[in-house]
Amino acid sequence: MAERYSSFAPGGTAWLLQRITAAFLVVVLAFHFFLLHFVNHAAEIEFAGTQARMENVGYFLTMVLFLVAGTFHGVNGVYNALINQGLDGTQKKVVLAVLVIASLALIAQGIYVATTMAGWT
Amino acid sequence: MSTQQQQPEEPQSQEAPEDPEMRGAESPVDEKEKQGGDIDQQTTPEDELEGETVHIKVFRYDPEVEGKQEPRFDDFHVPFEKGMTVLDAVMYARDTYDSSLTFRHSCRQAVCGSDAFFVNGKQRLGCKTQIADLEQPIRIEPLPHQEVVKDLVVDMDHFYDQMHTVEPYFQDEDTPNPADLEEQRQSPENREKIKMSSRCIWCGACMSSCNIAAGDNDYLGPAAINKAYKFAMDDREGEEIKEHRLRILEQEHGVWRCQTQFSCTEVCPKDIPLTEHIQELKREAVKKNLKFW
Amino acid sequence: MSQSYNRGLIEDFGRWKEFSAGMWAWIFHKFTGWMLIGYLFTHIAVLSSSLTGPEAYTNTIGGLESLFIVRVLEVGLLAVAVFHILNGLRLLMVDLGVGLEAQDKSFYASLVLTAIITVASVPTFLDGVTL
Repeated sequence: MAERYSSFAPGGTAWLLQRITAAFLVVVLAFHFFLLHFVNHAAEIEFAGTQARMENVGYFLTMVLFLVAGTFHGVNGVYNALINQGLDGTQKKVVLAVLVIASLALIAQGIYVATTMAGWT
Repeated sequence: MSTQQQQPEEPQSQEAPEDPEMRGAESPVDEKEKQGGDIDQQTTPEDELEGETVHIKVFRYDPEVEGKQEPRFDDFHVPFEKGMTVLDAVMYARDTYDSSLTFRHSCRQAVCGSDAFFVNGKQRLGCKTQIADLEQPIRIEPLPHQEVVKDLVVDMDHFYDQMHTVEPYFQDEDTPNPADLEEQRQSPENREKIKMSSRCIWCGACMSSCNIAAGDNDYLGPAAINKAYKFAMDDREGEEIKEHRLRILEQEHGVWRCQTQFSCTEVCPKDIPLTEHIQELKREAVKKNLKFW
Repeated sequence: MSQSYNRGLIEDFGRWKEFSAGMWAWIFHKFTGWMLIGYLFTHIAVLSSSLTGPEAYTNTIGGLESLFIVRVLEVGLLAVAVFHILNGLRLLMVDLGVGLEAQDKSFYASLVLTAIITVASVPTFLDGVTL
């Protein structure tokens, strides 16, 4: 039985990461909403303003981290919801693969869009 | 979960017939003697009993009796007594009206854990639930999310399997020092720590209330995790065995599946803070893994 | 045992009236979570209009924001996000083992706070748009 267990416990790591990203997202999501709906009115957003924000490296990195954390937190949440419903076997592997691919695509696309906004491409 | 069946609201309810002639003119005693084991007419008209009565609706199912293969609810009116429990009511109904009414019970004092039922939409211990606290008619059903064997009797095998998965017995890797063989002492603080967790009576109410255990058959469930907590937190067991216990708990279908809905904590008849214990074990498991990094 | 009866998902959704605070919190948290991850994908898709050029980006966002329905959906999104944040804080406390005996009250508190913040934000969100 010993080889079935290792010091690396995927369940625990995912659980911990879900909480760490949660703590980060609470702050950044609130900031994001406040900045783009209250400080800057959403209807008045223009490319120039977006670019001015994205050019700031700190803001750019925060947004990228926001995207990565948000994607992990959301997709891991979806995956857990399915496990809770008893998803198992091949189905589980397929779902996991689909979710991982979708996440990576989303993150790649998001970073690409952000660099375009910053005018670095 | 392939043969899921929608629970009918009132499947062929055995309500007392409206027409007085159909009730028969006999007294309840005569009726009982006449009917014997006949399972089709358990209904006792309320007005034939003296004093206050309790109206209970009991889930009936028996795959071996033709009329009971489709689940239904039977109505019973039992005389109310001060301090009467749900178990008292079903026992009265069984002893007086229908001897085929089946349910588990033994000690009648919330120790044996046999009589957990689903009473008015909540998992409760029959012997610990006062009739006076419930709204009538009282619906008494077997525990949800477990297969019904007969009437209020559910199949507990899966629950027991999960309990045994966590190795619910004291173990020590090393043979104790001969000087310690007489007794293994526990500090009062440590005893206090595991006090609540040791109160579990294996009634299965928590497991039945758990939304996740219903969906994920592999989930250990609150009772088993609490049982593991009792031993993992016991100082008399060595570090090595504690680690072994945590490894069982930190598998994918272990503690991580708990979604802190607090359903188990709310139904536990022994007031064990199940969610709190599960959460503590999650943190213990994370801490143990961080040590390796 | 020749046969047994599976009562299926009894209690799970048919008995929603009997759900406790913790159960409702879980349902809402899952529901808002699904909405948020769904929105994240949509959000990146909309922002991808910047790849076509600055005007396309400005026009896309301006065009969407001029629609009343989009503004209403945004208010909904705010409500969903605020609840998820507040209940998320509650869950973090639960994970840390803090205040477990008040978990039902903290759920009601997050509901009330969400309602207040959402209602207070409606003027800002519906500013400059007509039916």
